[in-house]
Amino acid sequence: MPSSSGTSRRLPGDADIWVFVVGDMLIFSAYFAAYLFTGRMGSRELFLRSEQHLSQTSGLCNTLILLTSSLFIALCVHAARLGNLRLASRFLELGGACGVGFLLVKVFEWHSKLASGLTISTNAFFMHYYVMTGVHVAHILIGLTFLMVVRRELGGAQAPRMELVEAGGIYWHMVDFLWFMIFSLLYLMR
Amino acid sequence: MNITDQRICLWLVPGFGAVLAFAFLLFPGFFPPLSPAMSADEVARFYRDNVGPLRASMIVFNFCEVMFIPFFMVIVVQMQRMKNPSRAFAYSYLSAAASGATMFALADIAWLVAAFRPERSPQLIMLLNDLAWMAFITPVGFIIAQNFCLALAVYMDAQPKPVFPRWVGHFNIATALLMAPAAFALVHLNGPLAWDGILSFWVRIGTYVLYVAVMFLVVRSAINRQALEQRVAA
Amino acid sequence: MSSALEAHPGAASASEAVPTVKNRKLDQWICWWSLPIFYNLFGLIFVYLGKLMPPPRPGLTTDEIVAFIQKNAASMQAAWVLLTLSLGFASLSSGLIIVQMKRMTTSPVLAYAYMAALAVAALPGCLLCTTMFSLAAFRPDRDREIIALLYDLGLLSFVGSLGCFVTQYMVFAIAIFLDKRGIFPKWLGYMSIWGAVTELVATPIWIFRSGPYAWNGLISFWLGTLIFVVWEFCLIVSLFRAIKQQPLDEPGNHA
Repeated sequence: MPSSSGTSRRLPGDADIWVFVVGDMLIFSAYFAAYLFTGRMGSRELFLRSEQHLSQTSGLCNTLILLTSSLFIALCVHAARLGNLRLASRFLELGGACGVGFLLVKVFEWHSKLASGLTISTNAFFMHYYVMTGVHVAHILIGLTFLMVVRRELGGAQAPRMELVEAGGIYWHMVDFLWFMIFSLLYLMR
Repeated sequence: MNITDQRICLWLVPGFGAVLAFAFLLFPGFFPPLSPAMSADEVARFYRDNVGPLRASMIVFNFCEVMFIPFFMVIVVQMQRMKNPSRAFAYSYLSAAASGATMFALADIAWLVAAFRPERSPQLIMLLNDLAWMAFITPVGFIIAQNFCLALAVYMDAQPKPVFPRWVGHFNIATALLMAPAAFALVHLNGPLAWDGILSFWVRIGTYVLYVAVMFLVVRSAINRQALEQRVAA
Repeated sequence: MSSALEAHPGAASASEAVPTVKNRKLDQWICWWSLPIFYNLFGLIFVYLGKLMPPPRPGLTTDEIVAFIQKNAASMQAAWVLLTLSLGFASLSSGLIIVQMKRMTTSPVLAYAYMAALAVAALPGCLLCTTMFSLAAFRPDRDREIIALLYDLGLLSFVGSLGCFVTQYMVFAIAIFLDKRGIFPKWLGYMSIWGAVTELVATPIWIFRSGPYAWNGLISFWLGTLIFVVWEFCLIVSLFRAIKQQPLDEPGNHA
């Protein structure tokens, strides 16, 4: 066993999930770099004008929803550590519900953009917008799958493996962080 | 034998099936289906006017089309549990499933290439459109082979509690027979056998959707029974 | 039956009939070697001879496309002949991965799904491209519009065949995560998820003729290829370790 549950401080989760999270963030930063390079350095005017079409309200809503979900997931991991599995499961379900809420807001936002005729091929800004939010949604879906696996682990007959629970939490926090970056870059930089 | 992975592969079907159904409804050329009798200019105009939904729906198809393969592999694994003289049918089924998916993959590529440059010559767009429709509707041969292998395996499953009930064999043969006429879409520009016709389009696709739905339920109960048997034996 | 086999000198009992091949993992090692050999060949074929990695721009005019084909016809044709002769060897790596996946505590379902997904991928994801370019280079006097069509069909299918690889990465990742024996490391499973996401990020190539999400774009092509190369390298190393660590007396070893 690589870690003990004694008094020694250890990295939460296991090395594998950190490889995943760090790598994923590096990959995402490539998308951000592409956006900054082609966008703000290239067609500043176009990007500033296009940004006006984004609903800051939706963006803010999504940010708050994800922050809340991260709080729930953190509470879940904490409860699991203390052995309170029923409470951990409830927190996890709440966190997951927020994740689903995020998806609903996002779909509604996309729908309203598409209805106004702003598609992925409208201009370079919207290309980045749809791709980045789309890839982020894929990460949310992966994250929800991860949370379902953790839920199963928490509700199982045997004691849950803490590395798995923590790994789920770490991944979910990463997804939250990535959204925050997207929100800042696409919605807020005016 | 592990049950969890079989269940995951099984549930890919409703998950991605819903996504594929959405893409199917989004594609502008299915309701009503494009006629093979359209002229090159009409086809080119259709592609120019419907570029957005065409691309979106076919990209989704491209992304999700192979997601049924794990489900067919669950059927292969269940066939291996049957008391057949050998596993020949199971492996034949595997082979047919892989080959069948290959042609299907070609269809959305052809639609997408046609939509990539709508300003291309109408004759070439029509060529790509023809390729796409033929690849989508006509390669029923592998499905027929799959279904026959499964039907025969079911009939030859010599155990008191067979993996699949006997009617599954009949159902597979019936599905194969109902889909077979779609092969004739290679030949006809009009009528029920053309790729927009009753038999080649509506019956063929409707039968296949029903088939997947029914087999999903059949496989689900087979897996559940297998899980029970393994728990009892343990 | 046992007359065809002779007892291995190191066998526990002399009457134990065992295959005569001294290295009991020889078949797996042969398959393993096909990986680095094939992928180096793949690089030679697509990068140096075929000139398709990195791909030329989607934004080329018909004349520029025809000029590109004509300029590179000879080396392209060498590339596609070489590929036609060697692509079959990709099946060896497929077989090896299936043998290792069948050692996992999962059922054979995921191994079969992996095999089937890659079998599908061979045509739209590789052979279609090289066949289209072979056609383009075959008759220099072919109608220019048709050559441009072959160009589009080739490169779009090569970069844009997504579903088969998504399924491949996904079933591989699921198998690794469910496997209690740890045949492959968990981080390889996570990397396979990256692989699947790069396929998602490649979806815009069907729409854009320029920019980072075109078929030659910084993200859709370059980042995607980088992740693929890293994944493949990690796979080769993981397979090496898996074969090495496989106990000699495992049942499947001389089945």
